[in-house]
Amino acid sequence: MGQKRLLLAAAASACMAGAAGAAEPIKVGLIEPLSGSVAYNGQSVVEGAKLAAKEINDRGGIDGRPLELIVEDGQCAPANTVNAAEKLIQNDRVSVLIGAFCSSATAAIMPVADKYKLPLVTGVSSKADLTEQGNRYFFRAAETDALLARAFAKIMARDLKLKSVAYIGVNDDWGRGGVAEFSRDLTELGVKSTLVDYFDHGSTDFYTLLTRIRAAEPDGVFVAAETQDGSILLKQAKEMGLEAKIFGVGSWATEDFIKLTGEAAEGIYAAVPYASTIPGDTNRKFVESYAKAYRKQPGKYGAAGYNAVNIVAQAIDRADSTKAEAIREALAKTDYEAPNGHYRFTPKGQAYGFSAVLVQLQGAKPVVVATSPVEAGQ
Amino acid sequence: MNLALQFLANGLVTGAFYALSALGLTLIFGLMRVVNFAHGEFFMLGGVLGWVATAVLGLDFATAFVLVVAAMGVLGWLVDRFMIERVRGHGEESTILLTIGLSIFLANATLYLAGPAPMKVPAPLTGKPLFLGPVVLTKSRLAAVAVSVVLVLGAYLVIHRTRIGRAMRATFQDAMAAKLSGIRTERIFAATFALGTMLAASAGMLLASIYSAQASVGGLVSLKAFVVVILGGMGSFPGAIAGGLILGLSEAFWGGYVSTGTVDIVGFVMVILILLFRPRGLFSLNAQRA
Amino acid sequence: MTGERSSLLFVLVLAAVFPFAVQNPYILHLAVIAGIYVVLATSLNLIVGYVGEFSLGHTAFFGIGAYAAALLSTAAGLPIWLTVPLAGLLAGLFGIVIGAITLRLQGPYFVIVTLAFAEVLRIVATNWIGLTNGPMGIAGVPQPASVAAAGIVGGKQIYYFMAAGMVAVSLYLAWRLVRSNSGRAAVAVRENRFVAQSIGVDPFLTAMHVFTLSAVLAGFAGGFYAHYVSFVGPEVFRFSFMASMIIMVLMGGKGTLLGPVLGAVIVVGLEEYLRQAQELRLTLFGLIVMAVVLFAPNGLMGLLARRPAWLARRAAPALVSNQGEPA
Repeated sequence: MGQKRLLLAAAASACMAGAAGAAEPIKVGLIEPLSGSVAYNGQSVVEGAKLAAKEINDRGGIDGRPLELIVEDGQCAPANTVNAAEKLIQNDRVSVLIGAFCSSATAAIMPVADKYKLPLVTGVSSKADLTEQGNRYFFRAAETDALLARAFAKIMARDLKLKSVAYIGVNDDWGRGGVAEFSRDLTELGVKSTLVDYFDHGSTDFYTLLTRIRAAEPDGVFVAAETQDGSILLKQAKEMGLEAKIFGVGSWATEDFIKLTGEAAEGIYAAVPYASTIPGDTNRKFVESYAKAYRKQPGKYGAAGYNAVNIVAQAIDRADSTKAEAIREALAKTDYEAPNGHYRFTPKGQAYGFSAVLVQLQGAKPVVVATSPVEAGQ
Repeated sequence: MNLALQFLANGLVTGAFYALSALGLTLIFGLMRVVNFAHGEFFMLGGVLGWVATAVLGLDFATAFVLVVAAMGVLGWLVDRFMIERVRGHGEESTILLTIGLSIFLANATLYLAGPAPMKVPAPLTGKPLFLGPVVLTKSRLAAVAVSVVLVLGAYLVIHRTRIGRAMRATFQDAMAAKLSGIRTERIFAATFALGTMLAASAGMLLASIYSAQASVGGLVSLKAFVVVILGGMGSFPGAIAGGLILGLSEAFWGGYVSTGTVDIVGFVMVILILLFRPRGLFSLNAQRA
Repeated sequence: MTGERSSLLFVLVLAAVFPFAVQNPYILHLAVIAGIYVVLATSLNLIVGYVGEFSLGHTAFFGIGAYAAALLSTAAGLPIWLTVPLAGLLAGLFGIVIGAITLRLQGPYFVIVTLAFAEVLRIVATNWIGLTNGPMGIAGVPQPASVAAAGIVGGKQIYYFMAAGMVAVSLYLAWRLVRSNSGRAAVAVRENRFVAQSIGVDPFLTAMHVFTLSAVLAGFAGGFYAHYVSFVGPEVFRFSFMASMIIMVLMGGKGTLLGPVLGAVIVVGLEEYLRQAQELRLTLFGLIVMAVVLFAPNGLMGLLARRPAWLARRAAPALVSNQGEPA
């Protein structure tokens, strides 16, 4: 009986799409972690994505059709993310998928996207080999750690006058990736590595790790950590009187982070694909509307969600169709003017051309000290 | 040598915090034998409510602390009277399932109401770090350690020196006999559960002023607290302190000389070894069977 | 007896027709996931329901199975019909070792020590980069060739029947165990350890027997999961899988064969259905779990236990065995 109803519903929606397509919304599925320990970052992505969808619909949608964003919780767990993807594809009949934050979760839905021949765009997942699997439907509108490292290693080594560095990161794929890429590039530039270690997500006490770093006496400390771990770590580094310059990757150029960290955030450097203080009109407008909608400045994850939805919407617009293959081809020809520069995709689906920035937190503001285009090499 | 001294200091401070975080569970799991998976969520609620009272309502730390702890006591009492009471005597499974459900509910309701961002409870004490020779400490950490000691002593005195404490011990040794001798055991159960909840919440609020509070921290806190309770011996307050210190120190030295990435393994391996060779815990003199 | 057989036939026919009647790949996907959880819940139920101890470390065996299948297929190139049984065997070996250590303990001590083992394995999986690739995990665990060749619905149907086959094997093994001498001995131990000992039952050996089979089943489920989801990382040892299993076993009704099956199907369905509640999804889920404990403390099978009679008799052979049936 339920089956019959499903068939009827499917038939009805097929008819409607054929006949009265004008007002039929274009559905885009968004899978992010909305519960559990990464919920904070996942919800930032959703905020940015919803803002983009609202702007698009305020402008009259795509060819007169509104963009409907359907958000599901994937909990950053591969199995739950696959459930969410199947639901979005089969029940909601979305035209494109965006997600799924953690690289492990994204890796799990890539075969699903491939099987259904549906484009999948991630704005976050940074694990380098995702774009190396020959999946034609996968696009990464984000930097990888390798690209960030290549963009900034030289600038950091030169400007911060680094001779030796201690590397610490959160013990997951992202943290280990950041440590691996930056330590490799900096070592090639002749910077000595004095210590490499990891900590678990949710750790609260970094005194032991910091004690070892202090004893190793590096000029700089590279840190790959997100808001909660990072803010506690920096405060404790300040308490311990650590003199070394602290730099790293993570969503540090945000108000929340600066508020949580207090004066311990002063002077640290962060290599990020986005900061609200990036100059330029596109970014100024984005920051204004984000602040109006959420009463705060966007951070890298808010921008990631915003960019991913815009890239997808423009591709659908160019494709002039909601057919997966047409959207995929249009996505490959992406040429999107983002708040942080210009996005294009390599044949493998890796974004390039946009800018990443090195910011220093000064007076509780992220000040851009260097800008470098993210260039995808071979 | 200086390094070892600093590791020792780090270990003692984190150890005191571990003991503090596990105090509530010492009562609820150690004495009442309720495998309480919502312990971490009670801890988390202490921090989040502390944030609401201080950062949102603008109360000072001490007033907020009293209010939060009292509110959590009421919550604990209600949870016991209306939920745990109904499944008491049905074996571990029912309470485990009940508290897992409760923890899922509390964590996600908090996430929904308070949002996912980490919340900072303004620290009552600020100031420059103190240098004792090569060792660094801060006032707020020392104060938190002092409060831990006070809470532990207070809880110990309540259990061992007051009438209600005597009634509690009687009830947990033999509920039937206690009932026959006129103790209203269901009140004792509820009071103990409430006390455990209050201890968990006070730990949560204190530590949120040093670290930060977030809806999702409960699971980790519960796990560590179970480790501490097992290390110290079920239901023993001095044991909980010892368990916390042992965990803190061994993590500090493992993290200091081996690696911090694998530091969590220390506690679990110790639990396995201790349960194998001294199942009553390192310090339990109590021969009572589990 | 004929009632039991015909109702079993009915269920089998229903299960066989289901993937053809329901062509929706999403529903089929959920059926496959439910199948994995049925095996897991059945396996946990052997310990909870028949040994009478509560294991919180069952993800250990699920995770070992998942890693075994992922490594055997990506590194050694073995096909799925070898990796899944090998995953079960390896999990069984770990079951013997872990069981030999943990089954000396009872009550809350057993609960915590099993949890500790699962956590140790999780931390090892996170940090032993050389073997497990650490938190980066193992991606691209291959699908069987037949699935790759079949279409979307066809592929799901193949997986469905593989899952159904695994469920059938697990239920059969569990049923055999429950009816076997060690199964009866286990129930005797659960009901009264001292009486059981006095009639010559060795509680430890009996429990080992059940524990090992339970580990094998969880390993099967893990191996199949690895191929189906295609990605394995340290999260397979996470407590959330454990929480799901517990909820399924106790919601369905422990110590019955059908309870965990029912529980698994209902929980998988419920978690997906609650997606409608958006942000309140898990909040409601927690409330429902609490409500089940409070209002149906013996699970759904407990509610059904009185009538219809055939269901109760089929579902709870062990519960009644100590009252009547000759051993």
